[in-house]
Amino acid sequence: MKKLLLILSAVSLSALSTHAKLNVVATLPDFGSFAREIGGDKIDVVVLAKATEDPHFVDARPSFVVSLRNADVLIDGGAELEIGWLPPLLQNARNPKIEVGKPGRVQASQGIRLMNVPTNVTRAAGDVHALGNPHFTVDPIIAKAIAQHIAQSFAALDPANAAFYDGSYKKFEASINAKLQEWGATMLPFKNQHVVAYHDSWPYFAHRFGINIDIFLEPKPGIPPSPSHLTEVIAQMKAQHVKAVIVEPYHDRRIAEKVASATGAKVVELSQFPGGIPGTDSYVKLIDTLVSRLAAALK
Amino acid sequence: MRNFVLAVVTILSATIASAQQLAPSPNSTPAASPDVEELRQQVQALTETVKELKQQMKEQQAAIGKANGSAPSPSPDPEASPAVAVTSPSPAASAAAHFATEDAAVVSSTSNAPAAAGPNVNANGTAVSGNFPTSDTSVVSSAPETISSTGTGASLTQPISIGGGGKNYMNVSFDGMFALAGSTARDLDHIEVGDHDPQQRGFNARNIELAFDGAVDPYFEGFANIVFKLDNDNQTEVELEETFLQTTSLPFNLQLKAGQFFSAFGRINPTHPHTWDFADAPLVHGLLLGPDGLRGVGAQISWIVPVPWYSQLILGVQNGRGGTGFSFRNPGDNGMFFDRRTTDRELRGLQDLVWIPRWENSVDLSPTQVVLAGVSGAFGSNETGANSRTQIYGADLLYKWKSANAEGGFPFVKWQTEFMYRRFEAGRGIDESFPVAETFHDWGLYSQVLWGFKKGWVAGIRGDYVDMEDSRFTDDIDRQSRSRISANLTWYPTEFSKIRLQYNHDFLYENFFLADRDVDSVFLQFEFILGAHGAHKF
Repeated sequence: MKKLLLILSAVSLSALSTHAKLNVVATLPDFGSFAREIGGDKIDVVVLAKATEDPHFVDARPSFVVSLRNADVLIDGGAELEIGWLPPLLQNARNPKIEVGKPGRVQASQGIRLMNVPTNVTRAAGDVHALGNPHFTVDPIIAKAIAQHIAQSFAALDPANAAFYDGSYKKFEASINAKLQEWGATMLPFKNQHVVAYHDSWPYFAHRFGINIDIFLEPKPGIPPSPSHLTEVIAQMKAQHVKAVIVEPYHDRRIAEKVASATGAKVVELSQFPGGIPGTDSYVKLIDTLVSRLAAALK
Repeated sequence: MRNFVLAVVTILSATIASAQQLAPSPNSTPAASPDVEELRQQVQALTETVKELKQQMKEQQAAIGKANGSAPSPSPDPEASPAVAVTSPSPAASAAAHFATEDAAVVSSTSNAPAAAGPNVNANGTAVSGNFPTSDTSVVSSAPETISSTGTGASLTQPISIGGGGKNYMNVSFDGMFALAGSTARDLDHIEVGDHDPQQRGFNARNIELAFDGAVDPYFEGFANIVFKLDNDNQTEVELEETFLQTTSLPFNLQLKAGQFFSAFGRINPTHPHTWDFADAPLVHGLLLGPDGLRGVGAQISWIVPVPWYSQLILGVQNGRGGTGFSFRNPGDNGMFFDRRTTDRELRGLQDLVWIPRWENSVDLSPTQVVLAGVSGAFGSNETGANSRTQIYGADLLYKWKSANAEGGFPFVKWQTEFMYRRFEAGRGIDESFPVAETFHDWGLYSQVLWGFKKGWVAGIRGDYVDMEDSRFTDDIDRQSRSRISANLTWYPTEFSKIRLQYNHDFLYENFFLADRDVDSVFLQFEFILGAHGAHKF
C-alpha cells in the first residue's frame, strides 16, 4: 500500500514537473513577435494573420478555432482592427481562459492612449475605427508597454517561470531604450518633413520620430485611390517637397509608383509587422529596417 | 531638478545665441531705405523665428525632462535653425543621446492586465530609465483608455454608440437589400425558389433585416434577426428569422444553442441571404430544404472534436413545423402538400421532431489555401400521411485560396459545392384521401466559383441541377426537374454596400404533367448595411 502511494506521488510529481509550455495565440505578427521575445522557449506561439496580408480582412479560418480552443493566452489588439474576423472565431472557440478580463487575454491597446479617436463616428469618413487608430505597435515606446503586459500575463499563468518572463521583458526594454537613441539620431535630420503613405497606418511611428506622415493615397481610410484624389496628392507633394511614399506589402504598389514618378519621390515599402518585409524577423529588426529605409529615401 | 535647471540654462543660452545671430539682420537692411513697411515685415519675420525657436526649446526641455536623468549633458536642439546649430558647441550626436525612451502621452499606465493587479506590479513596472510612469494599478482601468481630445469620451450624455466603440451592451445593425428583376417568365415567384429571392418583375424588397447581438451575461450570447419584406402587393411581412442564445463557457468544448435558428445543414442554409454570393438561392436549397431554408424553434449542441485539425460535430433538434420545416411537418399551402390533404397533427413523440446532425472538418492545405468539407442530415416526419417520414442527406465542400498579399480580402478564388438527396414518403393524406402512397427520391446539387479579381470586385459563375422523381399521380409544379446556369458580377464599394448584376438561364424539364420551358432572367441587386461592424464567418 505504501509502495502504491509512493508510486502515485512520484507520478503526480513528475506530471507537475514536466511543465507544459504555454500555448500563446497572437492575432497579428507584431504581437507574436513580442510574445516570442518574452516567452522564449517556454511558450509555443501561433500567429493567425500573415505578415504580408491586410490585417483588417483576414479569413476566419476554421483552423484558427482549433488554435484558439487550445490557447492559454490570446494577444489581440483590442482596438477593433480585427473586428471583421476575430469575433466569430471567439464565439466558436468556447475557451473561457481567453475571455476579456481573464489573465489569459492580453489586449494590446490596454493602457495605450490611442491617437485620432473620432469624436463623431460616421462611415462617410471611410473605415474609421471608433476607438482610435489601431496601428500603434510601430511606436517602440508603446511596444515596451505591450511587452510588459504580455510578461505579466505569462508570469500570472506560469508562476514557475515568472522571473524568466520578467527578465526577458527587462532585456527587451533595455534593447529598445538603447535602440531608440540610434533610431532617434537617424531620423533627427528629417524632423517635420512630410511623407506620404498609402493608408493611415503610421501616425504613431511619425509621432515618435517627429515626422509628418499625413498625406494618404487613399482618399479616406479603406477607400481605393481615385484619379482626382491622386491629382490632389501630387500637387500637395510638389508643394511640400515630399520625398517618400510609403506602401505596405498588400497595397497596390503601381499606384504609389505612378505618384512617385510624377513627383520625383521614392516608393518605400514598409510593414507594420515583423516578417512583412525581408530581414525583419524580430521587432527590433523591423524598426531598424523601417528607420533605415525611410532615412535612405528622405536623404 | 538638475534636469530642469539644465534645460532652463539651455533655453536661455539658445535664446541669447539666436538673438545674437538675429541681431545683425535688421542692421543689414539698407539704412537709407525709406520703406518702413519692408522693415516692419522683416521685424515681424524675425519675431516669428524667435517664437519658433522658443517653441523648439520647449520641446527639447520636455524631452530632456522625460529622458534618463543619469546622462546630464544638455544641448540646444541641433536642428532648430542653422543659426543655432552654428553657435551650438554640442554635436548632433550628443543630442541624440536624449531621445526619449518613455512617453507618458501614449502609454497611460505601466500595467493594467487584471492578472497583474497586485503589489509586485510596481516593482515589475520600474523601468530602467526610472522615468516610466509607475501609476497606481488599483485605480487604472483595465479597459482601453480612449479619451478623445475633446474630452467627451466619458460623458454620460453621449448617445449609445451603435457603430462600435466598446460602450454598448448590444450591437445593432440594419441591412437593406433590394433587387430589380427582369425575366422572360411571368411567374418569377415560381422560377425563383427562395423566399428572399426576387419574386416579381420590377423592384423587389425581400430582405430588410434588423440584427442584434451581444453578450447576455457571462454565460450566454444572444442573437436576433428580424426580417421585414414586401410581398408582391407591397404589403409588409415580418419574419422572426432567428432569435437564439448560445453558451460561451461550457466545459469539454461543448456549445449549446437554443431558440429559433437556421439549422446547421450544409453551407448555404445556416447563412443569411445578404451574405450569399448570388442574388438568389440555389435550386436544391429552395426545393429540397424549402423556400425559407430549414430553420425552426429548437436546440442544438456542438462539440469541437479534440483532434489536431478542425472537426466539429453538431446535433440539432427542431419542431420542423410549418413552411420553415418545408419537407417535414409542413401543412402546405391551403392544407395541401404534394397534392395530398395534409394531416397537420400535433407532436406525438421524438420521431416527429426534425433531427439534424452535421459533421464538418477543415484543414489548411497551405498558408493561402483552406478546405472545409461537411456531411449533414435531417430526419423527421412529414404531414402527407399518418406515418410518413422524410430523410435528407447533404454533403458540402468549400475550397478557398486567398493571396498572401491580400488587401481588403482580395484577390481570392472560392469554390463551393453542395449535394443533397431527399427521400420523401408521400402518404395518402388525411383520412387516406389520396389514391396512392409514393416514395420520392429527389436529389440535386449546385457548384459555384467566385473570383475576387480586384479589391471590391467579384465575378461568379454557378451551375444548378435538381432531379425530381417523376410521378403519374402528383402534378405539383415544384416537382419538375430543373437546371440553371448563372453568372454575376458584384462590386463592393466597401464591405457595407454592394451592387450586383446577375444573369440566370433556367431550364425546366418535361415531366408527366408539365411541358419543358426555358427562362432568362436578369437581376440588379443592391444592398446597404448600417450599424455594427458585422464579422465575416468563414
